[in-house]
Amino acid sequence: MGVPAFFRWLSRKYPSIVVHCLEEKGKECNGVRVPVDTTKPNPNEVEFDNLYLDMNGIIHPCTHPEDPAPKNEDEMMVAIFEYIDRLFNIVRPRKVLYMAIDGAPRAKMNQQRSRRFRASKEGVELVEEKHRIREEIIQRGYLPPEEIKERFDSNCITPGTEFMDNLAHCLRYYVADRLSNDPGWKNIVVFLSDASVPGEGEHKIMDFIRRQRQPNHDPNTHHCLCGADDLIMLGLATHEPNFTIIREEFKPNKPRPCALCGQMGHEIKDCQGASRVKQGQHDEFADTGPAAEQEFIFIRLCVLREYLARELTMASLPFPFDFERSIDDWVFMCFFVGNDFLPHLPSLEIREGAIDRLVGIYKDVVHRTGGYLTENGFVNLERVELIMQAVGVAEDNIFRKRKEDDENFKRRMKEKRKRMKAEQQGPAYLTTGQFAPQALGRRDRPEPVQNARHQAYDMRMQSREQHNKDAAQSLKALMRNGGSAGPSDIAESRGLKRKAEDSDSEPEPEDNVLWEEGWKQRYYKTKFDVDVSDEDFRQKVVQSYVEGLCWVLRYYYQGCASWKWYFPFHYAPFASDFTNIKGMFTEFEKGTKPFKPLEQLMGVFPAASGNFLPSSWRNLMTSEDSSIIDFYPDDFAIDLNGKKYAWQVALLPFVDERRLRAALADVYPDLTPDEKRNSLGSDLLCLGKSHPLLDFIQELYRTESQEATEIPAELCHGIQGTLNLDDDPILPDTVKSPIPQLRDISQNSAIIKFKDPAYADGFVFKAVLLPGAIPNKVLKPDNWVKGSQEPWRPQLGFNPNRQQAHLDQSGFRALGWDRAVQSQQLAYQQNMSRGRGGSGPGGYQQGYSSARGYPLPPQSRRYNWN
Amino acid sequence: MSAVDVEDFIQQNRAVADQVETFRGYWESDKHWQARKEFILRNISEYDNQQLDQLLSLSMVWANNVFLGCRYSTELLAKVTEMAEGIVVEDAPVFKTRDEIVKKQQGR
Repeated sequence: MGVPAFFRWLSRKYPSIVVHCLEEKGKECNGVRVPVDTTKPNPNEVEFDNLYLDMNGIIHPCTHPEDPAPKNEDEMMVAIFEYIDRLFNIVRPRKVLYMAIDGAPRAKMNQQRSRRFRASKEGVELVEEKHRIREEIIQRGYLPPEEIKERFDSNCITPGTEFMDNLAHCLRYYVADRLSNDPGWKNIVVFLSDASVPGEGEHKIMDFIRRQRQPNHDPNTHHCLCGADDLIMLGLATHEPNFTIIREEFKPNKPRPCALCGQMGHEIKDCQGASRVKQGQHDEFADTGPAAEQEFIFIRLCVLREYLARELTMASLPFPFDFERSIDDWVFMCFFVGNDFLPHLPSLEIREGAIDRLVGIYKDVVHRTGGYLTENGFVNLERVELIMQAVGVAEDNIFRKRKEDDENFKRRMKEKRKRMKAEQQGPAYLTTGQFAPQALGRRDRPEPVQNARHQAYDMRMQSREQHNKDAAQSLKALMRNGGSAGPSDIAESRGLKRKAEDSDSEPEPEDNVLWEEGWKQRYYKTKFDVDVSDEDFRQKVVQSYVEGLCWVLRYYYQGCASWKWYFPFHYAPFASDFTNIKGMFTEFEKGTKPFKPLEQLMGVFPAASGNFLPSSWRNLMTSEDSSIIDFYPDDFAIDLNGKKYAWQVALLPFVDERRLRAALADVYPDLTPDEKRNSLGSDLLCLGKSHPLLDFIQELYRTESQEATEIPAELCHGIQGTLNLDDDPILPDTVKSPIPQLRDISQNSAIIKFKDPAYADGFVFKAVLLPGAIPNKVLKPDNWVKGSQEPWRPQLGFNPNRQQAHLDQSGFRALGWDRAVQSQQLAYQQNMSRGRGGSGPGGYQQGYSSARGYPLPPQSRRYNWN
Repeated sequence: MSAVDVEDFIQQNRAVADQVETFRGYWESDKHWQARKEFILRNISEYDNQQLDQLLSLSMVWANNVFLGCRYSTELLAKVTEMAEGIVVEDAPVFKTRDEIVKKQQGR
């Protein structure tokens, strides 16, 4: 979803969904690393069936981590493999491993464009700044560290580039290697969906899961999905009861090394080019920092479902209550606060509790709506309008509150600054001479004051002189300026500077203040350059937005409805503008085709990243005669839109699909055969030699069958799909390693093309729990009281019957808890006895044993308080 | 050509005018479209049917510059400004481009 604060909000509101991952590390024996045996049971006390990897979530952190960056592409690949190994070790899937690489749809293109245009510019600026600082360091006489020649351009992680092609190749090798050599991979099926298959990684996974929900599917399959936040919505949308997400634990405020010399502790502008301090005697601690290795967490969606069941349960509804459908509605409402395809409504911010507000409105309004908002991914617009109207009513208050919060914040900051400044300045008057403040604690200090009266007289004289001096100066200044001169001048002449950022000055006013009168007009004027009275235009925006909501929901539940659709504005309308939306949308255009990878690149890259494209294509980005030159501005406007950081709006022009395709039609013949990475490809299925399906596949290759064949369900854990021969299969044979560091494998596994099972056009995937699904309960029942009939214990981790440890009395003694209890009692009684006039050590016993009904513990002989 | 001339042109060349109407972008408000339409009509005589896309591209360059705040290469901007001679845009929006913002931050 790309809503940054979403996970933070979710995990704070529903804390039990997070479980820490237990990772078994490999051991080292005589200098040889012993790998972990993944055939053993999972130390997390759960067995997963399927592991799905959204490779984008893995590629990005591996290819430009802040800690030692990989030197070249080969190192990156190895880093990626190691990361996948780690995940495999933690999760230990038993049936399926699915790896999906992005090939995104049109709707996300605008966001991708925005990111790549900005990344390109930031990269250039960083290089310039590095140069500048190097020069400065040289001038100061230090030696800057060696210049890193290559700058890794993260823009190459886009479907269609050579890098992604190489990656696909390397992954094939990796899979073949593990299937042949790692016993933990023996019985699993591996699916590879690379950048030549259109669609985002996570949605390809969704598609797979959705299409597997057929009669042969085990409804209690335990899925584990690796990636970012989007997946929570996706996971809920599948309605599979056992869905877990694994992701890196986010540790805020992690220090980053300086970009120039790679060391911690300072930023690039303070870099002095000092050489790195040796860590450990032989620099053996070089790669480890105080920050430990990245840890992972599990997010249990079944627990989230339990939470939502409580939250969304509504009584006395005019229609039957169906929990699965209220989950769908919840997912739908979460889209309003942000998603990758639409800008979010200006009044809905997660940090302000927008989701809670929406849920509140939902429960309020649902009695009027007469039914749920969504069904299987199709939106009921009439009912949605009621929700939007309710939000619209609250908009005014939301903006006003925002203003108040902002002002309070500024005020507190100002006061804080004043306090800090005052602390630094010290007291207004300091005694001098012998009465000057002196530090305590040294020998013979402070000495008694000699001749105090004389000293006091001196001080008075001194202060009088100072006053005279000040008066004289101010008189001089008066005569100089010929006008008024006050004490402020004297302060300045004494050298007290006023900082430019004095807290008394008002901050620059924002361009568009949403909370003041006439905010609607101002918004439409500044963002759309339209008069607020232009009803038609506003309706256009609303209509597109409504289409967008339908598209996004359809995307999550049924798959991509249209490869052409996108939201053609940079901003969202107000909730109060959603009137009469019922008839605004019916159906998407059918028969749309996705972009091919290189076409996608043309639509997403700025001219500066043109090096990733063939040269005749690159030319279209820069030549004045190009018929698509308008897609590639050199510079573009940025609108802060009330936010400070990355989520500002980049005002980039939208890509006209027709013109793009027309322009490319001319240069298509220029593609070399190597650049056939431009064609759309197919998913791949890979197996090891001991997998029951292998013989079947080998038979297919032997007979060179040209037509697609169905997978027999019993051979493959109930997975369905059609198989087609691959041009470049890896059959029992030697596989050459594409990476010099890793060896060639003589191996035995097979690769074949795979297609998801096909469904009829217009088939609707039902968003329901499959029959046979067994839910599990984790949370404390609402009406549970200690000692009631139903036993309940808090559950940590996956296993409800986790083994509990118990301490015997000896254990408590070892920990010293018994003494702690005793000494507490002693101290309490001590205080009481002191209050009574301090009787002797034996006093308290007499005093209290009569008041209490039970004997006191024996007096401890170790301590003698009196 | 002034606005009045453009009107005349449209009346005389109905077919051309209709064709040009199809080039309107979904997201363009009336004001933006009027301006861009004028741009196209003023220059359409110099482009034949094959090269129409180039004209459209240039019209977008101009419109993006005026209404969206995009900057292109100086030669390109000079070219389109020349082509847009005579078009009057009232109340054009003002923008801060990314480069300007970054420079301002560095200058602090």
